[in-house]
Amino acid sequence: MSRIGVFICHCGENISRTVDVERVASQASLMAGVAFSTDYKYMCSDPGQTLVKKAIAEHNLTHVVVAACSPRMHERTFRKAAEQAGLNPYLCEMANIREHCSWVHENREEATQKAIEIVGMLIERVKKNRILPTITVPVTKRALVIGGGIAGIQAALDVADCGHQVVLVEREPSIGGHMAQLSETFPTLDCSQCIMTPKMVDLANHPNITLHTYSEIEQVDGYIGNFQVTIRKKARSVDEHKCTGCGICITKCPQKKIPNIFDCNIGMRTAIYVPFPQAVPNVPVIDRENCTMFKSGKCGVCQKVCGPGAIDFTQEDILITEPVGAIIVATGFELYTITEKAKGSPIKGYGEFGHGKIPDVIDGMTFERLASASGPTGGKILRPSDGKEPKQVVFIQCVGSRSREKGISYCSKVCCMYTAKHTMLYHHKVHDGQAYVFFMDARVPGKSYDEFWRRSIEEEEAVYIRGMVSRLYQKGDKIVVMGSDIAVGVQVEIEADLVVLATAVQPQKGADLLAQKLGISYDKYNFYSEAHAKLRPVECATAGIYLAGACQGPKDIPDTVSQASAAAAKVMALFSKDRLEREPIVARVKEATCVGCFACKKVCAYGAVEEKEIRDRQGNLLKVIAYVNPGVCAGCGTCQATCPSKSVELDGYTDEQIVAMIEAL
Amino acid sequence: MTQTINTSGYSAITDSIRNEARRILGDGTVSAVIGYTSSRREGSTQPTVITKSEDADKLLFTAACLNNLVVYLTKAKKDVPHEGRIGIIVKGCDLKALVGLLGESQLKRENLYLIGIPCNGVLGSLFNPSAELNSETIAPKCRECTDRIPAGCDFMPDVETVGLPELNPFYSSEIARLEALTPVERWEYWKEQFSKCIKCYACRQVCPFCFCEQCLCDRNRPQMVEQTPRPSGNLAWHLVRAMHLAGRCAGCAECERVCPMDIPLNLLNRKMAKELKEMYNSEAGFEVREKGPLTSFDEHDDQSFIR
Amino acid sequence: MNPENKNRFEPKIIAFVCTWCTYAGADLAGTSRMQYPANVRVIKFPCTGRIDPVFIIKAFQQGADGILISGCHPGDCHYIAGNYHARRRFAAFRKLLEFIGVDLNRIQFSWVSAAEGGKWVDVVTDLTERVRNMGPMVEFKELALEEQWSGGLDSPDLQQVYEAI
Repeated sequence: MSRIGVFICHCGENISRTVDVERVASQASLMAGVAFSTDYKYMCSDPGQTLVKKAIAEHNLTHVVVAACSPRMHERTFRKAAEQAGLNPYLCEMANIREHCSWVHENREEATQKAIEIVGMLIERVKKNRILPTITVPVTKRALVIGGGIAGIQAALDVADCGHQVVLVEREPSIGGHMAQLSETFPTLDCSQCIMTPKMVDLANHPNITLHTYSEIEQVDGYIGNFQVTIRKKARSVDEHKCTGCGICITKCPQKKIPNIFDCNIGMRTAIYVPFPQAVPNVPVIDRENCTMFKSGKCGVCQKVCGPGAIDFTQEDILITEPVGAIIVATGFELYTITEKAKGSPIKGYGEFGHGKIPDVIDGMTFERLASASGPTGGKILRPSDGKEPKQVVFIQCVGSRSREKGISYCSKVCCMYTAKHTMLYHHKVHDGQAYVFFMDARVPGKSYDEFWRRSIEEEEAVYIRGMVSRLYQKGDKIVVMGSDIAVGVQVEIEADLVVLATAVQPQKGADLLAQKLGISYDKYNFYSEAHAKLRPVECATAGIYLAGACQGPKDIPDTVSQASAAAAKVMALFSKDRLEREPIVARVKEATCVGCFACKKVCAYGAVEEKEIRDRQGNLLKVIAYVNPGVCAGCGTCQATCPSKSVELDGYTDEQIVAMIEAL
Repeated sequence: MTQTINTSGYSAITDSIRNEARRILGDGTVSAVIGYTSSRREGSTQPTVITKSEDADKLLFTAACLNNLVVYLTKAKKDVPHEGRIGIIVKGCDLKALVGLLGESQLKRENLYLIGIPCNGVLGSLFNPSAELNSETIAPKCRECTDRIPAGCDFMPDVETVGLPELNPFYSSEIARLEALTPVERWEYWKEQFSKCIKCYACRQVCPFCFCEQCLCDRNRPQMVEQTPRPSGNLAWHLVRAMHLAGRCAGCAECERVCPMDIPLNLLNRKMAKELKEMYNSEAGFEVREKGPLTSFDEHDDQSFIR
Repeated sequence: MNPENKNRFEPKIIAFVCTWCTYAGADLAGTSRMQYPANVRVIKFPCTGRIDPVFIIKAFQQGADGILISGCHPGDCHYIAGNYHARRRFAAFRKLLEFIGVDLNRIQFSWVSAAEGGKWVDVVTDLTERVRNMGPMVEFKELALEEQWSGGLDSPDLQQVYEAI
């Protein structure tokens, strides 16, 4: 027999102005199962909550209905109060007679009648509420970080410094990511390598970090606190444990004419290589596609010269499984390639800018490598075609970005700043050179950013032309850039020696495939989606997976590092407890009646439904039925509406509770 | 004008399935064969489960073989051995139910040996089991059958059946007739039909897709559907059933055949099938599907009815 | 109740809404002090994906004159795809209701986001007024009152049997 307590709040005058609260209370007291009913001016205030708690004790209440504001406002408050009075919090319900009643109706009679009915519905509902124990799941206090760029490195270091184990997986042979490719960084012009490489070394030497380079995520199973991640360690052909990093194999390798991707294909590398001299780990990789040994079976020079005998041509990919409790995704970005429209891609390409055909039309990252002291030109700005120093350089912004007709409508955020930086780097290195910038807008908010941009114009003499380039073409050894200056309203034609395109920032290729393995959502550009754009910007909707850096959207280094530390903080918060508590609004399968049609599994967006074998005592298989993993279930209840026999039921929103409300009408 | 329908191939089919049943029971391919055998009344047939090759001659196929035997694989498997592969005789319409059950994890294909019938139609009822199969006596579902030849079976009698003559469709014209009525007229029609229901649940019993261990409509906490055979509860029961079968029922029409009150139950199921085909281009029973039309979605589904 | 409309029909409207979008949108209508008819009773679900068609039948049987089902806009579902499943389920179910003769004007489906307090008011007001003009939903109520079959015993066999009794 239920003994329900009903508490009607005046909310100052917010409710009592249009709802006759005394009448609601007295009507409620007549309803079946109600043992106590009262009204009070501010139920959520300290004395109000005390009133609820006292009444629970004095009247031996079994259920509580608080008729006040929206449950979105104070459900937690009153459930906590009920819990403090010794009641299971899920035996307390709120009737919304403010937002849904007193505030939206003027007629006192109508509003009062409606309030009585709302309270009646909730009284019927609460009778069917069941005690729900808090669900806890164990937490494996190890984190996986996917991606070894600055985002992944920062996040991994933060979590590891906090004393937790971290597994970092990087697709390339070395960590470092795009930041390792940059020359100097805005707005301070400090050398990227100088601030990056110490972090890379810290990471490699950190006792709490396991580093898997040249590795990819193969499969992800499990759920928050309990993921099982299968990692494919690609065959390096070099034994990491034996290699001393002396580099003699690289110097002796006869294949020396392979374009180096790290140098944006301007520099060359050998078939056995490290991407760049400061690579971490400093262990070479054999590029099997270009290695003579793998192509023709003859050569093996590296193996002959290797003192420790680290070269192993027979090495194969291996799969390892790592148990982790949280995952930080930091897969970063790549630059839009503007040559041709990729097959099947909605993005149209920028053939008219001649990239890929005219050798001296390069993208921003290539310019970074030209300007980098460790780059293929040793930091001299020399154009790719003939190695001459360009005297007129045209920079074009927003190539790919912000052009709906080309398929990308977003702003890539970093290009205005790095183009300003490029003009400065250029001016510092080629004193008699002239930089021109075609731009739509200068979007340079950020600490010291606008000052930096202005400096490029006012002190470093870059000429900014507001307008877009319509066409460019090769004329002799010059590139003719035709555009319009919309500020002045004239056509502009510049004979440039080098053209640098600020191409759009895009997610890495295969970002969607990784998202599918992880079970996280992504937008139409394949940027990963955060759980809430403002309030949960580093979490995925899938519990236990966090985002850092440009994989979530274009970002500069300070933003990336901040987000990485934020993601790390989220992971640390998760790891601060041995068991994870969660709201017990989850679906449960009634094993007796489930027949295993798995309609529930088909509609579950979270993969929370698993198959479970039911066996008798002799071990004979009786049936295979559904099982809802409470750690994964998000509590939407789509499974229950789909299940024909209602053998899966969502706690807190059971059919009994819903039907009780309908029948109270 | 009554048109006679050619059933001359049926005796050859009978011979063929007997031989096949004898073979597969004899060499241990299957532990049992579910088929039809003659019943007490002249010309009438009933389902049977045979486990010995010498019983193979009891099997037959005639125009009076109405049952969808697939139900004996799931719910009514009392007489079916638990071990070994099971042979089953399926008409095109029956196979569609079986395919649906494969997609719903109720059956495993490797446990089955399918003997397909190149069917030329069966009778509408066993009222007169020896009746000639013609355009009057043929089952309504056969009138618009497009899948007389079941596909993907393990064995199919090598018998040419000529095919059905052009017959006026029953369900599609009946659906069109009802759709043309006003809501009030339709309500009157269905009220009349549902009011006849005596809640004997024969429709549920015979349906291959009603494989739930506990039917929603038998639940008391809460009572989702009123259980007494009153008009209001009857309506709810038939709506719930139509909804649960939507996207799954391929129209074996057993529910309608067994209904003692002659409620046109398959009409509801065909209507839902028609709508799901129009809206989502989805038809049940043609392939083993991972997801049905109501367990999947497309982001671009029609939502013109949503404000 | 306005005195001049003392005898006017007040329909019972039941709204099945998801907690994240439409319930929050209705809250916003409240915090913005918008006004709408007091006929609607809201039943909160975590997601439109949880709403079972049986609830609609049940609500009509309990005397609802109009029903509103409302959730998050496509792509906004808090549970990734619950509203997509609901969209298909109710697209099919409304066809079934239409086929048995329920006037679909009594059922409204809508997407109302947490920011659309105004849309909530419009949807509820329009549905209430529409159903008010249509009058009470008598079909289910009449059916509920019938104790026995209304079905005509027109089959000759049955007639014979009954006459013999």
